[in-house]
Amino acid sequence: MNLGLVSATYLFAAVLFILSLGGLSGQESAKRAVWYGVVGMVLAGGATILSPDVSSLSLILPVILVGAALGAIVARRVQMTEMPQLVAALHSFVGLAAVFVGFNAHLQLADVAGMNETTRAGLTGFAKVLAQKLADPSGVLVSIMKVEVFLGVFIGAVTFTGSVIAFAKLAGKVDGKAMKLPGGHVLNAGCAIASVILLGFYFQSNDLWPLAAMTILALFIGYHLIMGIGGADMPVVVSMLNSYSGWAAAAIGFTLGNDLLIVTGALVGSSGAILSYIMCQAMNRSFISVILGGFGSTTAPATEIIGEQVAIDADGVAAALNDADSVVIIPGYGMAVAQAQGAVSEVTRKLRSKGKNVRFAIHPVAGRLPGHMNVLLAEAKVPYDIVLEMDEINDDFPETDVAIVIGSNDIVNPAAQEDPNSPISGMPVLECWKAKQVFVSKRGQGTGYSGIENPLFYRDNTRMFYGDAKSSLEKLLRLID
Amino acid sequence: MRIGALRERYPEEARVALTPESAVQLRKLGHNCVVEAGAGSRSGISDDAYRSVGVEVVPDARALIAASDVVVKVRSPEGDEAKSLKDGQTLISFLWPAQNPDLLETFRDKNITAVAMDMVPRISRAQKMDALSSMANIAGYRAIIEAGNQFGRFFTGQVTAAGKVQPAKVLVVGAGVAGLAAIGTAVSLGAIVHAFDVRPEVAEQIESMGANFVFLEFEANQDGAATGGYAAPSSPEFREKQLTKFRALAPEIDIVITTALIPGRPAPKLWLEDMVAMMKPGSVIVDLAAERGGNCDLTVPDQRIVSPNGVVIIGYTDFPSRMAAQASILYSTNIRHMLADLTPNKDGVINHNMEDDVIRGATVTKGGEITYPPPPPRIQAIAPAKPKEKVREPTAEEMRAAEAAAFRKQTTSQVGLLVIGALLLALIGSYVPSEFMAHIVVFALACFIGFSVIWNVSHSLHTPLMAVTNAISGIVVIGALLQIGSGNWLVVILAALSVLVATINIVGGFMVTRRMLAMFQRS
Repeated sequence: MNLGLVSATYLFAAVLFILSLGGLSGQESAKRAVWYGVVGMVLAGGATILSPDVSSLSLILPVILVGAALGAIVARRVQMTEMPQLVAALHSFVGLAAVFVGFNAHLQLADVAGMNETTRAGLTGFAKVLAQKLADPSGVLVSIMKVEVFLGVFIGAVTFTGSVIAFAKLAGKVDGKAMKLPGGHVLNAGCAIASVILLGFYFQSNDLWPLAAMTILALFIGYHLIMGIGGADMPVVVSMLNSYSGWAAAAIGFTLGNDLLIVTGALVGSSGAILSYIMCQAMNRSFISVILGGFGSTTAPATEIIGEQVAIDADGVAAALNDADSVVIIPGYGMAVAQAQGAVSEVTRKLRSKGKNVRFAIHPVAGRLPGHMNVLLAEAKVPYDIVLEMDEINDDFPETDVAIVIGSNDIVNPAAQEDPNSPISGMPVLECWKAKQVFVSKRGQGTGYSGIENPLFYRDNTRMFYGDAKSSLEKLLRLID
Repeated sequence: MRIGALRERYPEEARVALTPESAVQLRKLGHNCVVEAGAGSRSGISDDAYRSVGVEVVPDARALIAASDVVVKVRSPEGDEAKSLKDGQTLISFLWPAQNPDLLETFRDKNITAVAMDMVPRISRAQKMDALSSMANIAGYRAIIEAGNQFGRFFTGQVTAAGKVQPAKVLVVGAGVAGLAAIGTAVSLGAIVHAFDVRPEVAEQIESMGANFVFLEFEANQDGAATGGYAAPSSPEFREKQLTKFRALAPEIDIVITTALIPGRPAPKLWLEDMVAMMKPGSVIVDLAAERGGNCDLTVPDQRIVSPNGVVIIGYTDFPSRMAAQASILYSTNIRHMLADLTPNKDGVINHNMEDDVIRGATVTKGGEITYPPPPPRIQAIAPAKPKEKVREPTAEEMRAAEAAAFRKQTTSQVGLLVIGALLLALIGSYVPSEFMAHIVVFALACFIGFSVIWNVSHSLHTPLMAVTNAISGIVVIGALLQIGSGNWLVVILAALSVLVATINIVGGFMVTRRMLAMFQRS
């Protein structure tokens, strides 16, 4: 394969990647879109391996095979409820790879700089690019490359530790609560400033140590940044890390002078950024306040809730469901935790077979990953045309007989609309309390992830259906006739 | 404990406080039940029906009182009934303590624990024993049925071969439980229903039942929640406005159901003589407040009268009793729930816990003392309503102006961003070599494509999107592949590691996306 052909293949792969992302606009076209992505990736990887720049196939092929096998095993084994963790873990790999590639660039630069003219002429691959850069008498190209390497390693390192922490939080291995070291944001800012100073050192010398020191600082920033963000904000965090991994790839692309990497990195980076933006809009919070961690502290105390939570048993819920004509189910993270999506699907099927209008209302930030609930419901074979978004269904609640809230809390909190002092004031919520009757399936009387009291539970038309979501729904299933 | 149900002495009373169904439930609480012979006959329950579920039937009131620890009945005791109770006995029934101070004194002297079903506080937990609501529900339904009986026309509008029939127009005044039940019944019979209440927060409930809320434009509407869900007396100005509204409605209304009551006061006069005079002959007024003097000027309690212009005015006070079978079932269930709360351990032992808000509120005498009126309940019944903000409809001009302003703002911000971007590019371009600029161009264009493509991704596919972009970001593998041929062993190791993790990412990401997307299916 000559270099022209390789470039042409890269261009084609980039087009395929763009089509792949664009195809995700609908469920049906998405199934095709994945294949575009796969083919693009195979073409890009294949062209690179076959290009005259790359030798040592005997090393590459085994490594790729092992990696592919591991990836396949993970992808097969993972439960749909564990999807957030998996995505976070995969992000960390990209970050790690970016760090390694950046360090390699530095090491090779030093190698090539030490060679004489004749050896340089015989170089291939990335080393050849480096030789060309070194040949530039002004040295600007090398300086630019140093900045690129520095940036790529920095973003990669932040992505790596950030994703590892996000993974640990989502998998429950680390407490999901927001946690900060003393010093807080000042600590992060200090590390960032120190990194910039280190860039100056790196510029002056050709040493490895400023790069290594910066890597340690960046690893710390990634750790500290994500530790300071609470579990309820995880959808934003995951998509933000997604964005970072893209920017890291783009920075590496600049270092290597490879347009495919730049294009793909930019695509991923911008898509992650937009996703984060959409998530933040759904929570009515500024992106900055999410990234800087935790809920903003409120000045006035939230309105105290008066009244009591009234419990109901499965018989009562079943009776109401049997009488109802229209039912809306609002799933949340609790459904994922209890693995109740199968039971939910069964209940839905049974109610629908009786001619009742059953629909699902999905809040944009329900769950711990954008679109988390949709994936779980799809896994449980809930048809996607009855799964509606918040804006599509909010106006229908007044005509709904029964709304069932399964393991969600903040996204159905009326305080967001009614209590200006509530920490979530102004966040768009599902107005399920307008339904004639609301049942809340919940493990106990505690508050949700954000720790905010929910006045919904105290409403006159709300009944609390305590217990594990899965076993509650299975009980219900037997009682619906 | 032994629970005994007395036969009602009042001649018009057909209800009974214990049914065979409730007796079965009471037995589960550990209680035994006794009933006076003939108590259920007017509700269609024979003595044998009681016996068949193990309820003992005793011949007369004296034997019943002697045989039971707790006496349940419907109406408050009449004549010497109260005096005939045993010392230390518990009585559960409607008592109206505010109207019957003598009765309370009798109970106190006889050391009787009296629980008034009409004093159960209106909180969510106590709804199951709220006998006033369950009786009001029946009264509301029956009021419409009674009105239909007197009304010479259809409720529903029809177009028949013999001509067009206009639907009846019904006005319900006071949207408490009875009012809402009346609305529901009238709507389901096909009438056009209007409803009025002084508490603006019930508008939603009225509309939910299918009636039109008669809206009164008035400042400082009262907040019914502050008075425990009941209406409070209104100011003279308000009353005047209200009456004007009713006068305007009167000529076209066929059936009026009035249910307006204010706790502890005579019923407010809302439907005056002149309004009756304005109504069409054959129209019907059912006054559910007749017992407290009636909302209509002409109402005579317990009687059906006809006004000079042919309007029928019904002042019956025994609507629940007119549906005795249903009323007895509901009332006995309320009684049964009250006893369940009094028997928390389900062991047949009554634990009269005066710390409990509900029990405390309903108990009017206990241990030789009058405990009425109770202290205000600790839990408020209904959250206070917030004053509604008025949303002014913007005029067409304002909307146009706002749109234009938004457009201008968008234009300025876009142009501003473009200028800044151009300057930035110029700055970079003038310093860095052209080779680097080429990469910048590619980068910037790719960002733009990314932004515009992602906006169209449907919300439900955000997780697959993340998985795909994640897989694609594994493209970093190419960088590692290009470096792996280096002669430096450290570079080779790091590059090989990068290839490994990036491949895991690529394969894992794509496969998991496939798995997810395969699950999405249409119904």
